[in-house]
Amino acid sequence: MRRDRGRKPKKKICSFCVDKVEAVDYKQYEKLKRFVTERGKVLPRRISGNCAGHQRQLTKAIKKARIMALLPFSME
Amino acid sequence: MEKYEIMLIISPELEKEEHEEVLGGLTSEIEKGNGSVDIILDWRRRRLAYEINKLQEGHYYLVYFTAQGSIIPELEHYFKVTDSIMRYMIVRATEQEFAAAIEKAEREAAKAREESEKKAAEEIANTETEVEETAEVESDAVQESSTTVEVEADEAQDDLAEEITKTEETEEMLKDEPVNEDK
Repeated sequence: MRRDRGRKPKKKICSFCVDKVEAVDYKQYEKLKRFVTERGKVLPRRISGNCAGHQRQLTKAIKKARIMALLPFSME
Repeated sequence: MEKYEIMLIISPELEKEEHEEVLGGLTSEIEKGNGSVDIILDWRRRRLAYEINKLQEGHYYLVYFTAQGSIIPELEHYFKVTDSIMRYMIVRATEQEFAAAIEKAEREAAKAREESEKKAAEEIANTETEVEETAEVESDAVQESSTTVEVEADEAQDDLAEEITKTEETEEMLKDEPVNEDK
């Protein structure tokens, strides 16, 4: 029933797979910025559409970037 | 032998020579453990995403080296002992990353060489046309930069905690000038 109302869910595509990225790099923090919220949280897969493997790499990369002060742990 | 990458944040309050000193110490530490430093990339000063030791900026370096894994604890000890290192991270590097870093360094070196050649050519052209004017401007710039360096050095000797705001101001002035000199 619910599927009949509302919009059809758009097929999400993993942007890392599209770019054929093998390993997500914590040094490219400008790119990682796209996958964090305004508060600095990691964007969930359901929003970003990443595949499971790349999402796992992404969270690790974001955490490394946070340690090196390239990305914030939290923002107001 | 494994390939590693170190990312370092060194305090931006230090002079360039002191940065070289820290990196030189790191190199000798790696070589002591039968490793070899393949390349050091200067990531320059960057704004930190959050304050570290009350500082808003840091000077980033990337060091790529090959060594046995057993020297990692020794390197970590060196980083902890050295006060000017604000943060460090040692990561295993893949072959591709290694190759990319070396390629990037070569590209940058080639670019810098090209630019310096161009600059030299421009300078020759400038000196031919307007000799006196450029000479005056340059001497002024040199005087300015030397005074700011002195101010910073004096403050470093005083109580640092109290003077942090001032040093930040002078740093910003210092930061602007090298950019101009590069051009």
